[in-house]
Amino acid sequence: METTKSSNEIAQIELDIIENILTAVMDPEIEIDIVNLGLVYDLKYDGEQTVLITMTLSTPSCPMGDSIIQDVRQSIKNKYKDFEVDVNLVFEPRWHSGLITPEGKKMLG
Amino acid sequence: MNGLQTAHAPSPKVVVPHFIAGGLAFLVMAVLMFLSASEWISLYYHPKLIAITHIGVLGWATMIALGALYQLIPVIYETSLYSEKLAKITFLLYVISLVLLSYSFWITSYTNLLFYSSLLMFFSLLLFVINLVMTYKKSNKSSIQSKFIASSIYWLGATELLGTLIAMNFKLNFLSDSHLHYLKVHAHLGMIGWFLLLIIGASSVLIPMFMISHETQTKKLNISYYLINLGLIGLSVDWLFFNSIYGIYFCSALIILGIAFYLSFVYKVFKTRLRKKLDTGLKLSVMAVVFLLIPVIISLYLIGFKADSQEVIRVSMNYGLSVILGVISTLILGQIYKTLPFIIWLERYQKYVGKYKTPLPRELYSEQLAKIQMYLFLPAYILMMNGIFFEQLPLLKAGILMLIVTAFINLYNILKIVFHKVQLKELQ
Repeated sequence: METTKSSNEIAQIELDIIENILTAVMDPEIEIDIVNLGLVYDLKYDGEQTVLITMTLSTPSCPMGDSIIQDVRQSIKNKYKDFEVDVNLVFEPRWHSGLITPEGKKMLG
Repeated sequence: MNGLQTAHAPSPKVVVPHFIAGGLAFLVMAVLMFLSASEWISLYYHPKLIAITHIGVLGWATMIALGALYQLIPVIYETSLYSEKLAKITFLLYVISLVLLSYSFWITSYTNLLFYSSLLMFFSLLLFVINLVMTYKKSNKSSIQSKFIASSIYWLGATELLGTLIAMNFKLNFLSDSHLHYLKVHAHLGMIGWFLLLIIGASSVLIPMFMISHETQTKKLNISYYLINLGLIGLSVDWLFFNSIYGIYFCSALIILGIAFYLSFVYKVFKTRLRKKLDTGLKLSVMAVVFLLIPVIISLYLIGFKADSQEVIRVSMNYGLSVILGVISTLILGQIYKTLPFIIWLERYQKYVGKYKTPLPRELYSEQLAKIQMYLFLPAYILMMNGIFFEQLPLLKAGILMLIVTAFINLYNILKIVFHKVQLKELQ
């Protein structure tokens, strides 16, 4: 019981670090990070070496989509080079402005 | 990846030459305007003005539109271009025919050179139309924006067909009415059918995307689509076969109402935008939409009042200028900064993303120069309109000089983007 709790805590710390890494991934056009833009819907870490990111784009036809996803994968691998990073790109629910954090709204001017 | 448009994006080799050629044509147009201003300032359809107009409309505006459309197709139709090879052949034929066509107008060679160069131009644009229609057909996506763009491409075909018939008529003499009569229809098919519908289709995708507005109500755009298309069909038929003043009133009203619905859509987007701070590219794009009101007002003046012939000449010239320079060029000058840097950035930096610190797309050009360009372009436009209206050559020439500087900065920034060398920094 003691060991499981400790593993969960460690997993949570890793998740926080990964989320922090994602705040450095920018949308090159909007120039705001994907976390504050509200593009990241869910973040899961299995406690071993797999990270699953469920995310969206501001529009399905976003010209920078490939680049953003590559940035997500590479940025996490820079820190955890043996991790498997799965990006699940979804367009349901559709991204809307209400998902932008107050910080993100400030950045938009 | 998962239907992302970048999987369908054409090679930059298809798109980028259009931006370079277009920027160059804009500069050539401005210089030729300056050199011949005293000749065309008060003459209706002066050959040199026709040459300049075609360099502006075909060399600058349509050239950039063709390049941008090749890039926009994946965004709007969610499919790849039917043939990149065909696009490259089209570009080559288009440039050759453009040079020959403009030169034939400039030297008034209306029987031989104009005949063959207009046929070549028709053929090159036909290839473009075929490429885009085939792309549209293989797409499953049907939105009001894609309908606008598809119809604009058909209207481009119609514009070019009538233009070629007018050019051929100088040699074969088969048309029943005067050239000026058909030229008026040709100009409106191009300005409303090709450019306006294209602008509405593309901007109703791009402006909400760049401004971060999720205005999804497309009802106004649907109404606009049917009103403008119906109005233009009616106007063309009326001009070509009946010439009834009431028909012109009615069809013009339909078109103007259609524009009003589009403006109302853009206004809603603007009001609900999250991105409050607009860069130069977006500012120019918004201005172009507002400037749509100017040709609308001028056209009402031309339709509603029986102006004397000299006044009609001056107002008509301003009408053309307000469309080509005021609306189309303003939008293109803005949208170049919202498209070209991203095309080049993706080509040069995508493989380095996450591995190195890369510059941002907007850092590929000088934003400072873009601002100067915008502040020069606006007074240039105003001075030129006034110079023409009041027949004041110094005013007109001062405006054109500012336009030359604008065009030079535009070309400089295009080349700065295109020839950008990769700059990477280690991640910290």
